[in-house]
Amino acid sequence: MELVIFVITAIVAIIGAVAMLTSRNAVHSALFLLLNFGAIAVLYLLLQAPFLFAVQLIVYAGAIIVLFLFVVMLLGAERDEEDANPIRWQAPVAITMAVLLIGEIIWVLVRQSQDSLARVGSSDSDFGSPAQIAQALFTTHLLPFEVASFVLLTALIGVVVLHQRQR
Amino acid sequence: MLPTIFYIGLSVLLFVIGVCGVLLRRSTLMVFMSIELMLNSANLALVTFANQRQSIDAQIMVFFVITIAAAEVAVGLALLVMIFMRKQTTNIDTMTTLKG
Amino acid sequence: MTQISWLIALIPAFPLAGFLLNVFLVRGERANGTVASLSIVAAFITTVIAVINLAGMAAESRFIAITLWDWLAVGRVTVSFGLWFDPLTAVMALLITGVGALIHIYSITYMHGDSRPGRYFAYMNLFVFAMLILVMSDNLFLLFLGWEGVGLCSFLLIGHWFDRKHVAPGIVPSEAATKAFVVNRVGDAGLLLAMMAIVSHFGTLSFFGSDGFSGFVSQLTDASFTTISLGAFGNVGLVSGIAFLIILGVVGKSAQLPLFVWLPDAMAGPTPVSALIHAATMVTAGVYLIVRTHAVFDLAPDASGWVVIIGATTALIGATAAITQFDIKRVLAYSTISQLGFMIAAAGMGAYTAAIFHLLTHGLFKALLFLGSGAIIHGMHNIQDMRRMGGLRKHMPVIFLVYIVGALALSGIFPLAGFWSKDEIIAHAWYGAQNINVTVILLLSSLLTAFYMGRQVALTFAGEVRDKDAHPHEDLGSMKWPLYILAVASVLGGLMNLPGVHWLNDWLNPVLHQEAELFTLSMGIFAAVTVLLATGSGYLGYRIYSGPIGARITPGDEDPAHYYLGDIWKGFEMGWGLDYVYQRIFVKPYRTLSLFLHDVFDQQAIDGILVEGSAEMVGRFSQAVARIQNGNVRTYALVFLIGVVVLVGYVVIGA
Repeated sequence: MELVIFVITAIVAIIGAVAMLTSRNAVHSALFLLLNFGAIAVLYLLLQAPFLFAVQLIVYAGAIIVLFLFVVMLLGAERDEEDANPIRWQAPVAITMAVLLIGEIIWVLVRQSQDSLARVGSSDSDFGSPAQIAQALFTTHLLPFEVASFVLLTALIGVVVLHQRQR
Repeated sequence: MLPTIFYIGLSVLLFVIGVCGVLLRRSTLMVFMSIELMLNSANLALVTFANQRQSIDAQIMVFFVITIAAAEVAVGLALLVMIFMRKQTTNIDTMTTLKG
Repeated sequence: MTQISWLIALIPAFPLAGFLLNVFLVRGERANGTVASLSIVAAFITTVIAVINLAGMAAESRFIAITLWDWLAVGRVTVSFGLWFDPLTAVMALLITGVGALIHIYSITYMHGDSRPGRYFAYMNLFVFAMLILVMSDNLFLLFLGWEGVGLCSFLLIGHWFDRKHVAPGIVPSEAATKAFVVNRVGDAGLLLAMMAIVSHFGTLSFFGSDGFSGFVSQLTDASFTTISLGAFGNVGLVSGIAFLIILGVVGKSAQLPLFVWLPDAMAGPTPVSALIHAATMVTAGVYLIVRTHAVFDLAPDASGWVVIIGATTALIGATAAITQFDIKRVLAYSTISQLGFMIAAAGMGAYTAAIFHLLTHGLFKALLFLGSGAIIHGMHNIQDMRRMGGLRKHMPVIFLVYIVGALALSGIFPLAGFWSKDEIIAHAWYGAQNINVTVILLLSSLLTAFYMGRQVALTFAGEVRDKDAHPHEDLGSMKWPLYILAVASVLGGLMNLPGVHWLNDWLNPVLHQEAELFTLSMGIFAAVTVLLATGSGYLGYRIYSGPIGARITPGDEDPAHYYLGDIWKGFEMGWGLDYVYQRIFVKPYRTLSLFLHDVFDQQAIDGILVEGSAEMVGRFSQAVARIQNGNVRTYALVFLIGVVVLVGYVVIGA
C-alpha cells in the first residue's frame, strides 16, 4: 500500500519537475512546480511529518507559488526566452555534469552499508506531531526560532526599502 | 516504511532536475523556481533522514529552511522586479556586470 | 711601562684620527692638507719618543707590547688586537711616519687645485694607518688587516683621478687601480692560505705569543719534519709549504716576478702616492714580511732559494725595463721593481739586515726621486714624457740638484746611501752566499741601474728643451723642504750601517740575531770595483743620451737604441712581455667567457627565458583564464557545479 502511494507520488513529483523545466511558459512552469510541491507534501505525510505537510502546503503552495505567479503576471514575463541561446556549449556540459552528479550520489548510496540507511529504533506513532514539533521549537531551538523571525522582518523591511528607493 | 534509499533517490533526482533548470533556463524567474525545487528536494532528504533516525531536529531544520526560503523569495522577487524595471527583461544572459 | 705601551698605541691612532677628521669634519683644501700632515708629524714624533724609550731597554727584552682588545675568539684560536714594537718595527715605523710626513707636506702644494683634496688626504692618512698596523701587528691576522688596508688605499689612490680617461703614459686610472687590486689578490690568497696552514697546525697566529702561551715562531722548529699531503702531488714539508705561500703574498705586494705588472701602471696615481705607496713603504711590506717571519725561511732552504731566484731575476728584469722607458715615472717604477728585487734576494740569502738596510735607504732616495719627478711634472704642467723635456737644469736648478743626489744614491755611487746598502747585498751574495750567478745578476742589475739613471738625468736635464710648447718653471712651495730633507737623508743614509760601525745591525740584532760581518780588505776592493763599474756605467748612460744619440731623440719617436737592438729593446720596454702574456692567457679568455655569459647566458637564458619568458607565460595564461570570466552568471553556476562534481567525486573516491 505504502509502496503504491510512494510510486504514484514520486512519478507525479518527477513529472511536475520535468514539466516545469521544459515548459516554455512561465505560468505553466509555476503551476507544474505547484504540482511538484504538492507531491512532496504527500511524501511528508508518508514520512510521519504531518506538521511539515501543512507548512509545505501553506507556505510553498499557498504563498510562494502565488508570489511567483503574481510577479510573472505583473511583469508579463511569461515568455522571455525567445532569442537564441548565446552560450551553445552550456547545455551539453551542464547535462553531462548533472549526470555525473547523479552517478556520484548513487555510487555513494549503493556503497553505503544497508545498516546505515536502516531505520533506527521503533516507529513512534506520536513522532512528528505538531505537539512534538512545538516542544522542540520552543525549548531546544528557541533561539534559532527568534532569529528566524528577525530574518523575516529584515526581508520585509528590505523589500519595502528596495522599492521605495525606486520612487 | 519503505527503504530510505527510495526517498533519497527521488530527492537526488529532483535536485539534479533543479540544477539543470538553473543552468539551462535563461529566464531569471525560471532559475528562481529551479532553486525552489532544489530546496524542496533537500527538504525531502532531511525529512527522510528524520524519519529514519526518529529525530525531530531534522524536521525543525526543514521548518527553518522553509522560513528562510519564504524570506528569500520575497527579497529575490523584489530584486527581480527592480532588474526588470531597469532592463525590461528577465533574461539572465543580459546580466554580465560580474565581468572583470 | 704602561705609559710607553699606550704611547705605541698612539702611533697608528694619529693617522686614524686624521683620516676620520678629513672624512667627516674638515672641509677645504688647505685645512685637509694641514690636518693630514699634522697627524703624520704627530705620529712621527710619537714614534721617535717610542724609539728613544726602546733604546733604553735591555737588549734581551727590547720590545714594547700592548694588547688593546681581543679581536676574534673562534674555538681555541684567539686573535688579539695587539701591537708590538721592537727594533725592526721601530725602523719601519720611523720610515713610514718620517717619509710619510714629508710626502704629506709635499702634497699640500702638489695637490693644490685638485678637485678632491679631502679624499686624497683622507686616503693618504688611512694608508699610513694601515701601514703602521701592518708593521706593528703582533700577529699575522692583524698584519693581514694592514696588508689589505694598504692594498685598498693603493687601489683608491691609484684611481684618484678615476674620472680621467687618460693620463700619461696612456693609462686609464680606473683600470690601473683595478689591475693593481686584482693582481694583488692573487698574492693575498697565498698569504691567506699561509695563515690557515699556520692556524691549523700551531693553533695561533701570534708571532711571539703572550700571557704564557707561545707564538707560532717558537713552535716552528718542532714542526720542521711535519709534512702536508697534497694528494696526487705528493707531500710537502709544512714549513716549506707555509714559506711558499708567504712568498706568493710577497710576490704580489712587493711587485716581484711574475706579479710585478701592476706597479708600472700604478703610476696613474698622483706622484706623491707613487712616492709613498709604490716606492717607499707599501711595496716593501713583502720584504718586511719575509724578515718578520724569517724563522720560517731559515727552516725552509728550498723556499729561500726560490726567494733569491725571484728577487735576482726581478732585479734584472726591472733594470732592463727601466732603461727603455720614456715616461719619467715609469723609469722610477721599474727601478723600484728592480730595487725590491735586490731586497728580496737579500732576504732570501738570509741577509735580513742588508735587506732592511736597503729598504730604508731605498725608501729615502726613491721617495726623493719620485718627489723630484713630481716637482718636474708640476713645473712642466703635467708633461711626463722625457722626450719632451731636456735642458731643465737651467729652468729648475734646485730640483736638478736634489735629483742628482737621488740619482747618484740610487746608482750606488760612493759615499751616498745607495752605495752602502746595495753593496752590502752584492757583497753578501759573493762572500756570504757565495753564489756566482746571483752575484753576477745583481751586479749587472746594479750597473743597469746606474745606466738608466744616467740616461734619465741626461734626457731630463741636459741640452735644450725639446718640446718648444712647454713652459718649464720652478715653483716649489711646500715641496721645497721635503726635497731638501730627503736629499740630505739620501746622502747620509749610509751612516746607519757603515762597515765596521754597523749601528743598524746592532739595533736589529735582538730581532734578527745576526752578527755584523767583519769588514775585510778584499771586501773593500770588491766595493771599490763595483763603485767604479757603476760610475762608469752611469757616466756612459749620461754621455750617450746627452751626446749624439740624445740629439736624435724627438717627442713621440722611438729611442735610437731601438734602431740597434730592435725587438730586444721592444721586449725590455714591454717589461719582458709579461703584460702581453697575461693579456692572452687570462684577460682575453676571461673577457671572452664574460662576454659569452653576458650575451648568451645572461641576456638570452636568464633575461630571455627566465625573466621575460616567465612574464610572457603569466601574461598568456592570464589572458586565457580571463576568457572564462565572461560575466555570464549561468556559466559561473556551471563552473560552480563542476567544482561540486569534482569535490564530491574526490570525497566518493577517497571514501
